[in-house]
Amino acid sequence: MSEVKTVLVVDDEPRYLRLMEVNLNTESYRVITAADGQQAIDRTAAEKPDLILLDVMMPVMDGFTACERIREFSAVPIIIITAKGEERDRVRGLDAGADDYIVKPFSAQELLARVRAVLRRAERQQASDFHQPVLTHHELTIDLPRALVTSTGREIALTATEYRLLQTLAASLGQVMTAEELLTTVWGPEYKDDKEILWVCLSRLRQKIEPDPKNPIHIVTRQGIGYLMPPEKPS
Amino acid sequence: MSDTAPVAPLQHGTELNAVYAIARIVAETYDTEAGLDAIFRLARTIFIFDVAALYIQNEDTRELEPAYARALGRGRSQEADLAWGEPAAAEAFRSGETILRKEDRGPGVPGRERRRDYLGLPLMVGGRCVGGLVFGRFGGPPFPPEHIRLAEFVAWHVGQLLETRRLSTRIATLEAQRELARMQDEFIATISHELRTPLGFIKGYVTTLLREDATWDGSTRAEFLHIIDEEAERLRELIDNLLDSSRLETGALRMTLEPARITGTIRDAAARVLSVAPEMPLTLEVPDTLPTLLIDAARIAQVLDNLLGNAHKYAPGSPVTVRAIDQGDSVRVEVRDSGPGIPAEHQPQLFQRFYRVQTGNRTVRGTGLGLYICRKIVEAHGGEIGIESQAGQGTSFYFVLPVGPPIPTEASQRSDNHE
Repeated sequence: MSEVKTVLVVDDEPRYLRLMEVNLNTESYRVITAADGQQAIDRTAAEKPDLILLDVMMPVMDGFTACERIREFSAVPIIIITAKGEERDRVRGLDAGADDYIVKPFSAQELLARVRAVLRRAERQQASDFHQPVLTHHELTIDLPRALVTSTGREIALTATEYRLLQTLAASLGQVMTAEELLTTVWGPEYKDDKEILWVCLSRLRQKIEPDPKNPIHIVTRQGIGYLMPPEKPS
Repeated sequence: MSDTAPVAPLQHGTELNAVYAIARIVAETYDTEAGLDAIFRLARTIFIFDVAALYIQNEDTRELEPAYARALGRGRSQEADLAWGEPAAAEAFRSGETILRKEDRGPGVPGRERRRDYLGLPLMVGGRCVGGLVFGRFGGPPFPPEHIRLAEFVAWHVGQLLETRRLSTRIATLEAQRELARMQDEFIATISHELRTPLGFIKGYVTTLLREDATWDGSTRAEFLHIIDEEAERLRELIDNLLDSSRLETGALRMTLEPARITGTIRDAAARVLSVAPEMPLTLEVPDTLPTLLIDAARIAQVLDNLLGNAHKYAPGSPVTVRAIDQGDSVRVEVRDSGPGIPAEHQPQLFQRFYRVQTGNRTVRGTGLGLYICRKIVEAHGGEIGIESQAGQGTSFYFVLPVGPPIPTEASQRSDNHE
């Protein structure tokens, strides 16, 4: 926790950049900025920030596209900032690989709370995995010390949140976890009721790890109760 | 083909050519009137008739109405008299069957004009009868069965031609509706973005100032308060525009026309834009001797603010000239910039509600209401507004206001009845 976290703020409105910068500075984050999606990609590659706050509506390249491109080479936590409160925009952001979203207009407190929560999540993941064993589930291997997920030897690129969701379910092998439990553990207590964010993340995770995402074997839904990683039956 | 009447080889070839040509016209023509002319000219090469008329059911009143008539043989003088074939057309329309009628106009009518044969044919389109087609032949002989068959063929094709017209009219109507709906959707999206943006700044900076765990020095506080003030002003302007636009649409905007000197109005507007954009290279060419006009000075000021604001927004840094010209019976006011210009394809729609030129530059804010409001205000003064622009060569917006009592327009008249 001692080192200074770098936050990349991406927005084409100078007044939003200023707003986020002044508030983040009071929390001792180092703030770097970008004014469009292309700049965001370049700065992410060059400066490896700890977190990205990414506006959606921008010239040159919009936030969704930038988010997808960044995901091709980085698992850095991303918070999408959308000016539209519509569900499909939020889902689209999460689909593009974002870890969280925040809807304009937002308060300074809300912004800082989301930033703290997402950074805490990423940090907890790095800290807790150090002395863990390597887990296997069917063809899937979760190498906790190295935070590496492979399927029949092939590496699967997961975002920080996807990885943490998988790891949480694997740690409770055979036990059903409710949506609230998962949201509290993976995202934080303030996300307890935000089921949508769980559904989108789960759907993306299944697309990546399940041999047949429609008939999942790694993460199974118990209708009306929750989710679990079922124990492997001896075959 | 065995049941067809024996025909001479030459006639058979002519028939085939005509039938083929008629089918082609139906498939290819979108000009109904010209198509019908061509079809009847061709039909006349394969069977004899003197007049042809078309009656179509009005979709609203359900009444049969004359739609087309041509005299191609005898009785050309009667072309204008559309009523002559109506009974046969009406009967064919009602019954859905081919009707033959004979008429003897009595000994008072000379020569071949006395005897008339009418062939009424229903116009069937997709199983529906949409009207009646009637062929008239003066002075006999009556229509033989093979001519009736050809006439039925022609009637079927005329039906198709009319259907094509009905469908293309319908498509045009629906496309216009869809375009309006699209523009309104886009407007809603734009407006919610335009409303949220200033609101977002206000909320963000106010909550920043309200943070109990942080302190701000005096100049930072002033900076934030200044932003909040500006954004609140932007919200006010946007809401005013929305209200004006909806009042103009319903004709409820009040215009108070009073004698005024437009020179002062222009100079005030210039001072206002310079207070917001002091760096604007603005030149005024406004003579002191302009005639007094009967105007709503506040509304004309709004037009000028809008045009100057557009020059500032869309041609930043470019020299702007405001020129007023005494044209005797009117005064022309121009606001000219040297910016990127507006491509010709956008110019006709510029003054329509919600229309915006897509520049790809989202940082330029707008709602597609400003120029619409300008047009409505100028029109309410009995004047006109327009644009002269070429891509890359700057843009000149102008409006012309009449000297003397303006002609009251719908908007200004209706505004008197309201409030």
